[in-house]
Amino acid sequence: MHDKQFMRETVAEGAKAFKEGRMDRRSFLVLCGMAGIATQSVIAGDAEAAANEIVMWNWGGQSEECHGAAIGDPFTAETGMPLKFDTSGPLQGKIKEMVDSGNVTADVCDADLFDAVALGPSGHLEPIDYDIVSKDRTLPQYALEHGVSIILYGYAFVYDTEAYGDNPPKSWADFFDTAKFPGKRSLYKWANGALEGALLADGVSKDALYPLDMDRALAKIKSIKDDSLYWGSGSEAHSMVVNGEVSMGMVWQNRGRNIENDTDGRYKLVMNEALAMPGAYIVPKGNPAGREAVMKFIATAQGVPSQLTLLDCLGMTPSNPEAFAQIPEDQQPYAITSAMNIDNIVYNDPTWWGENGGDAVNAFLDAIS
Amino acid sequence: MNGSPLRRIGTGWLLVLPFLALVVALFLGPIVNILWLSVTDPEPGLGNYAALVTSDNLVGILWTTIRICVITTAFSVIFGYSIAYAMVHVAQGSRNQMLSLLLVSFWISVLVRTFSWLMLLGRKGLVNETLVNIGIIAEPIEFMRNELGVLIGMVHYMIPYAVLPLLAVMQNIDGRVLSASRSLGATGQQTFWRVYLPLTRPGLVAASLLVFILSLGFYVTPAILGGGKVLMVAEYISVQILVTLRWGTAAMLAALMLFGVLALLFLMSRFMKLSTIFGGAKA
Repeated sequence: MHDKQFMRETVAEGAKAFKEGRMDRRSFLVLCGMAGIATQSVIAGDAEAAANEIVMWNWGGQSEECHGAAIGDPFTAETGMPLKFDTSGPLQGKIKEMVDSGNVTADVCDADLFDAVALGPSGHLEPIDYDIVSKDRTLPQYALEHGVSIILYGYAFVYDTEAYGDNPPKSWADFFDTAKFPGKRSLYKWANGALEGALLADGVSKDALYPLDMDRALAKIKSIKDDSLYWGSGSEAHSMVVNGEVSMGMVWQNRGRNIENDTDGRYKLVMNEALAMPGAYIVPKGNPAGREAVMKFIATAQGVPSQLTLLDCLGMTPSNPEAFAQIPEDQQPYAITSAMNIDNIVYNDPTWWGENGGDAVNAFLDAIS
Repeated sequence: MNGSPLRRIGTGWLLVLPFLALVVALFLGPIVNILWLSVTDPEPGLGNYAALVTSDNLVGILWTTIRICVITTAFSVIFGYSIAYAMVHVAQGSRNQMLSLLLVSFWISVLVRTFSWLMLLGRKGLVNETLVNIGIIAEPIEFMRNELGVLIGMVHYMIPYAVLPLLAVMQNIDGRVLSASRSLGATGQQTFWRVYLPLTRPGLVAASLLVFILSLGFYVTPAILGGGKVLMVAEYISVQILVTLRWGTAAMLAALMLFGVLALLFLMSRFMKLSTIFGGAKA
């Protein structure tokens, strides 16, 4: 079994070298012969695919079929290259490990824009080629050297209408006010969004958020610590609310609709002061499909049809301004950049997070544990 | 050729030598890598280890971890001892039933058990709902999403690990020793405290060591049942590797855990033969 695997990998490597012109045709055929594989089957099988496909590294679940339908299908129709998935979740540490090990198996990561700031300068990412990818098809502040925002997601909160029906909470100030709105809260465990929410609640204006005043933010977080739970994944955030463990819960805004449905409308989403997070596509240095192919893939994802399919399928909001006006009626309340919400949201600063995120997360963990 | 080194090693060893070398290389390689990382990232020196003294944050996490592991070990071994004691003294049929129940709970995944505790003892869980509905309590009791929740989950997970070594030792105790004690005039209590308990000491040590060492690496249970407020070292290491990219800190903590466990084994070996604990020669 292992020999077979080894031979397949050898041939796949050979095919890559052949395609890039590092190996001549004859040597490649000899290699295939040695591997005991008919050339025909190589071309049809894995070996050719390794050099001729895009591997997207995402978070699994629904996103696999959604990314396939929204970006994979139009991209394959245009270029003939299939889209495959690695669903193990491209956390910063995993991307760094993959590039450092020299065995890069993913072409594009469904990551955060602050990851691009954290990993770009150390040489772990390919720069975005803005001759192929369009700067106009994303928000101007979210087209960075090593990553480009494809979708926006956000931190908003849901509240229990039975607890606060007559006088519902409207802002982060209400969320952090456990005297006026008694009850349990849930917040994101890894600091992101929670710090911004705390500062907004403490009276910092939207435009003066960054650089974050950590001491002030953590003091506010600690002030409701006894009433707070902290979640580490979207499903955990969801279950804390749906199981009635909290009266107000910070959630990823694209979960808001499911929560409203799962609780028959008992919990309601508040989008005022939602924190818009740029979800970005970033490319590990030395990606197998080559830079040009993956840039074309990213450009496809910027297209309005892809953007709207992602919204419909995953609740991820378009970042391409051309798509804003086409957000369907029923998605308006949940989408970050819909006409209904766009004036009330607060934009995340990926540069601050990329440069200070590590310290911020550790300080936050220290404050809550 | 008499007494050449090769001959003295013996052909048996020669046969396993390649595999031994492979295992040692594959096992030691990564460990050396971790140790190396802990003194070279982000810059060469002992900066990562110095943080143990200078950072209250790290000290707090280590203290939480040790406290939770000690409490877990104490409760798991006490419960485990009672269960093993009962199992040795019931009829064969009941013992087999008890053993299968124990093994079934041993095999159920830690995630399933963790979520079951949430359903049972959570804020809107079975127990709280029942108590509130029959009017015994007005507000739900906070069993979960705090340190108590972590302890409940961990003790429950660890009990089988405590029972099995204790059971092995208890089954080998010669019942005639106890009869002799009674016939010489000792009361039941005296027999237990002065004869039975000392005889089960290897099992107690083995169970405590096993439970403590396994508890040190706990990740899923504290992360879920602790509601984010109970941060143990395993979860912290994972965050440092995956999210904050402080690989040096993570490597330092991993090295600390490794040497902590080795030191613990060494300490134990001063008091008793380790081979007794792990089922080797009789003491």
